[in-house]
Formats: sequence, C-alpha cells, structure tokens
Amino acid sequence: MSERTNMVVGLFDSADALMSAIGGVKDKKLGNLEAYTPYPIHGIDDELGLRRSPVGAMVMVMGLLGALTALGFEYWISAVDYPIVTGGKAPWSWEAFVPIMFEVTVLFATFTSGLGMLFLLNKLPFFGHPILKSKAIADITRDKFALAIESDEKSAQRFDFDAAQAALKAAGALTVEVLRLPEKEPVFTSVFLLRTLGGISISCLVAGFLMYWTIKLFPVLPPMSHMLDQPRLIPQQSSKFFRDGLGMRLPVTGTVARGYLPLGLATQDEAVSLVNPLPRTDQVLAVGKQKFTERCAVCHGSLATGVGSLTAAYGAKPANLQSQQIRDYPDGKIYWVIVNGKNAMPSHAADLNVDQRWAVVHYVRALQRAQNAHDDDVHL
Amino acid sequence: MTDTNSKSPSLLITATVLGGLGVLLTYVKAGPERFWINWIFWFVLVFTVGIGSLFIVALQHLVSARWSIPIRRVPERLATLLLPVTPVALIGLAAVPVLFPGARPEAIHNKILAGKAFWLSLPFFSVRTVLILCLSLMALAILVRGSMRQDKSRDPQFSVRAKRFAPLFMVLFAFIVTLVAFDWIAGMVPEWYSDIFGVYLFVGSFLSALASTTLAVIYLKSQSRLTDVRRDHLYSLGTFTFAFTVFWSYIAFAQYMLMWYANLPDEVNWYRDRLHGGWHVVTVSLAIAHFIIPFFALSTRDAKSNPKRLLKVGLAMLGAHMLDMYWLIFPVLGIGPVFSWPEVSFALMFLGGCFLWIRKALTWGEDMPIGDPFLREGLEFHL
Repeated sequence: MSERTNMVVGLFDSADALMSAIGGVKDKKLGNLEAYTPYPIHGIDDELGLRRSPVGAMVMVMGLLGALTALGFEYWISAVDYPIVTGGKAPWSWEAFVPIMFEVTVLFATFTSGLGMLFLLNKLPFFGHPILKSKAIADITRDKFALAIESDEKSAQRFDFDAAQAALKAAGALTVEVLRLPEKEPVFTSVFLLRTLGGISISCLVAGFLMYWTIKLFPVLPPMSHMLDQPRLIPQQSSKFFRDGLGMRLPVTGTVARGYLPLGLATQDEAVSLVNPLPRTDQVLAVGKQKFTERCAVCHGSLATGVGSLTAAYGAKPANLQSQQIRDYPDGKIYWVIVNGKNAMPSHAADLNVDQRWAVVHYVRALQRAQNAHDDDVHL
Repeated sequence: MTDTNSKSPSLLITATVLGGLGVLLTYVKAGPERFWINWIFWFVLVFTVGIGSLFIVALQHLVSARWSIPIRRVPERLATLLLPVTPVALIGLAAVPVLFPGARPEAIHNKILAGKAFWLSLPFFSVRTVLILCLSLMALAILVRGSMRQDKSRDPQFSVRAKRFAPLFMVLFAFIVTLVAFDWIAGMVPEWYSDIFGVYLFVGSFLSALASTTLAVIYLKSQSRLTDVRRDHLYSLGTFTFAFTVFWSYIAFAQYMLMWYANLPDEVNWYRDRLHGGWHVVTVSLAIAHFIIPFFALSTRDAKSNPKRLLKVGLAMLGAHMLDMYWLIFPVLGIGPVFSWPEVSFALMFLGGCFLWIRKALTWGEDMPIGDPFLREGLEFHL
C-alpha cells in the first residue's frame, strides 16, 4: 500500500457479489487486490490472499527482548555496578526483578504493536489515500462494495489499465473507475523550507515566553527541601534533646576505637616481654622509614643520634637512640615509649597505628645497626 | 457407537474397581493420613473442574455471549460432576480430625489456633462444606437442568432467567471457591494467611474446566457430533485458555513475591515447605507446566484454533492443574513428594469414575442447546 498508486476500482452491489468476483480477478495477476467495503466482511482477507499481519511475531520478539533488557539492566545495577543489600535480600534476587521485567515487556510490546502497526504496516505519515479522491468513495461509504486492482510505485509503469478494467467488468462490476498515479511534486521547495524554519522559530519563541512568564508569575518552590529542614545535631553546638545540653556525646565508658587496642602495660619494664610481630621485609622497613621521618626525626634526628632539626631551637634533649642503653633495649621497651611517651616526649599512639609503631621499631633497629656496623656486615 | 466405544466402559469399570481395591488397601497399609490426603486431592480436583464448568456456563449467560451457545452443552454436562463429588466431600469430612490441626483437641494449646477455634472446629467446618455443596447443586439445577429442559420446551424464558441468575451466581461462585480454597486446602495449614488464595484456586478451576471443555468438544467433533462447531469456536476457547494461563502466573507470582519480600514467619513457611527438599523440583515444574508451556504453545493465532494443538495443550493443562493441586495439598504431609501405588490406585478409581460419569453425561440432552433462541447466531459466529 502506498499513497501514490495506480488504481482501477470496480463497484459491486453486495458483499456476496464482491466475494465471488475476487477469485476470478485474483487469477489474472494484474496487480495487488484490495477491497473497500462499508463494513468488515468475514473471510475476505483469506479470499484476497492478504498476508498474515506480522505484528504478532514482532510483538513476541520485542516483548522477549524487553524482558531480557530489563533482566540484564537490573542484574547490572543491582548485582554488579552498585550492589546494596535491601530488605535482607541478596543483590541478585530475580523475584524482585520480575515486576519490572513484566512492565518493560509490556512497554516494548505495546510500543512495537502500536508504532509498528502505524508506521511500518500502515505507512504513516500517509495522508489521504487516493480512493478518497475517487467518485466511488461516496458509494463505498453507503451501500456499495469496491474491489480495486492497484499497482505499487515500482510496477506503476507496467500497470495494464485496460486489462484491469476488463477483468473487473468481466467479474460483474457495476461501474469501473480509473485513478491514475498523481504527478510527483518536489518536496524541498523554498516555500516548504521557509515554512519549516518559520514554524520552528515561532515554536521556540512561544515556548521561551511561556517558560519566562511561568517562572515570573508563579513562585518557584525549592524542590525536595525536606532533607535540609530535618532536626539534626550539629557538631560543637548545644542541643535541647539531651539533659546536659551538649550536642556531642562522649563514647560509652570503655569504648575502644578500631585498631587502637590499649597496650595494658603500666611501666616500661613490663613491656620487655613484647615481641615485634612484623617480619623484617622491605615493605615494613619502608613504612618504618616513612613514619620515623615524619614523626621522630625532627627531634631524634634522621640518624637517631638525638640531634634533630628542632633540638637547638627547642632546647630539649631528646634521647640518643644510638646509645648503648637503648641499643640494649628489647623491642618491647622502644614500642612502649612510642605508645606512652617518656619525659618530654609525648605519646604517638594517636599518630601511628600498631603496625606502624612496630615498623618504626624495626627501622630504629636498622639505623642502630647501620651506625654500629661490623666488618663482616659487608659482603665482598 | 462403534466397537471401541462399547469396549471402553468395561475397561473403565475394571480400572475403577481395581483402583477402589487399592484405595481400601491404602487405608489399611499406608495409613489414614495418606488415604485422606489423596481423598482431599481428588475431591478438590474434581470439584474445581465441576464448579469451573458451571462458571463457564454462567459467564456466557452473564455477558449474553452468542459464540459459545453451540458448545455450551459441553460445560453444562461437565458441571454435573458436582453430583458425584458431593458424597466424596461428605465422606471427606472424616479427614478433618486427621489432617486439619485446627480441628484436633491439641489445638487449644496453640495460641493462633485457639483464637480461630470456632471457625476451624469440625461442626462449623461441616456446616460450611454442606452450605457450599448445597449452593453448587442449586446453581447446577438452575443453570443445567433448566437448559436441558429448554431442549424440549423451547421456552425462551429460560434464557432470560439464566441471565438474571448469572450475576448472583458470580457472587456465590466467589464465595464457594474461596471457601473451598480456605477450608479444604489452606485449612490444613491454619497458621498461614493469603488473601489471594481463593483467586488462585479460581484460576486453576476455570483453566481446568476450559481444558476439559476443549477436550470434550474436540472428542465430540471426532465422533461427528458437534460438526457445526468450527475453528472460530475453538479459537475462542484457545484464547480463553491462553489469557488465563497468564492470569494464573500473575496471581501465583504475586502471592509468592509478596511473601518472599515480607519474609514473615507465619506466611513464608508455606513457601519454605515447597521450595526445599524434593518439592523444589515440583515448584519449578509447576511454573513450567502451568505457564511457560501453554503460553508458548498457544501464542500464535493458528495454534489457538488448531484441534491437534488444542488437544495437546488441553491434556497438558489438565495435567498442570493436577500438579498444581498436588503441590498445594501434598506438602501438608511434611515429607517429600510422594507418588506410589496409593496415588495410582486413587487415580484409577477417581479418573475411571469421572470418565464413566462424563461418558454417561455426554449423552444427556441434545449435543447443542437447541432450545436457545440465539443458537443460530452462535452457529454463524465468525471471528
């Protein structure tokens, strides 16, 4: 079916006359057959040999595609890209996906059937079938039944008007009418382009002004302000919620932060029993070097000799870690000092976690050995 | 009647009698629980087919359908299964103290059951069962006996009366099916709640009745008895079946998904029993047999009017309904899926009995409701 077509239309008196005429005309194979009737006639599509509509198959394919699309999308967002446990269900819970799969199936299926029917099969945009310009149309919409032999645009040149007229007359048509292919008009004329541009400009202007006046005349409400307005505690602020009026709360007595388990050793001598749990690897020594440089070297010096860059300005006397006394310390005593501090040295428990402290101990040992190396340390 | 037909009743009678012996043996050897669970299974199965057939009849009257008049006698005859199923139900009341925890003396110790003691007690249970049986038989008398009388009287007033009764029947039908579902199936798991369970059984009932009707129509056509029934009528039956397989899966899944999501202990146990152990296979098979197979088997336009395809789908649909009832009822025993000689005996007895009954029923009245004033319109029905 096409908007531009050659047609020969024969009118018949009754539906039965039309039905009995179809067989003979069809056998002559003059062109596509089409019937125009005031009401639907049962069985006429089989008689005309019209092909079965492909809408059903299209809907089935697109519906299944919709189901798979939804399943894949949900699987990706819920189980792969951003898995969150919701309602105690595993990220991959097909039960939760089914309603959305169903909706998307229906969406794909309805759009396919609706748009496929309108655009693919009924060839929209298709304004005004040639039959509407015929003389026969007045009778067809009243009490006559029309059988038309039509050509599509490709076979229009070969269309045999005389044979078609003769065939319809022979089949018993009351009147026969010829509708010729209308002249082809150029599409992109200057008028067409001007109208299109004008239409777009006016639409933009109208839409812009509407938008402007809508915002101007109606108060604009901030969307979704509820989260900003909810009651909440602000750090360092008082609160009427608690009886003591403090907004910030102390942790429950005995609370221990993760990774900061207290040592539980009151004196340095008790720490003798501690054993360095870390292996002496390059990584551990690298951590130890970094932390020592950051935290210890300003006072103890980068060689741990007790002369650091701050020593002169500060007037303090940091311990010389290369001294025999400290070289004889077991690891636990050095660790204990890092945790608790000694004399003017503050605790570094808040700055270094357990592994970092032990890494520093290793590094201090490495510095001590470097400053007091034996000859046989050098392998020649 | 041909030779094969005169032979089959003796075969059917043999099967029924053999099955009956097996049924008696079941009570003695396999114990009363196994006996009564089978009994309830067959009561619910046959009753749903019968009441579903009556629903089809009433639905056609309700909407003044013309296309279905030539085949209406088939569901009318199938609905007479409600007659033999009545004593089955009354005998089945003896199963209540065995299988229904709410009707047992120890129920008073269970807080939930004690609260529902009056509803679950045997006397009130019996009253409800007798009530639904009476209502079903009354509707059967009005719709089916009246229709068969119309064959002779040719009184168009029956069509008017049936149309007036049909809306009332729909209310009664909802009541009957819901009570059967709540009492006879869910009553065995009284802690469990599901509002939609009645609807679930309704879909199964309607689908099994549609399948039986389709099969009977195709059988009668093969016997050259409903020659005027054409593809167009078969197409409508096929479309109904197709549409309601989707409705069944919608209801079944809706019930499952809400309970799965909420995960409440009193609801989810029903599905826990059916998704673990051997029952998981049955659950998956049910979804395939009750939805996937009929949905794709009936998808195309030609399949819905193809007698061969409809025959296969009808048999598969009845099988799926049996599986559905099995899935609903048998997990109550608390063991995995069982299928052994007791089940075979019950199947022989009840299927044999039903086929004997339907064989007889298919001779009652004319093959078409010839007294219906709109029969001609139905015969001329064209898609």
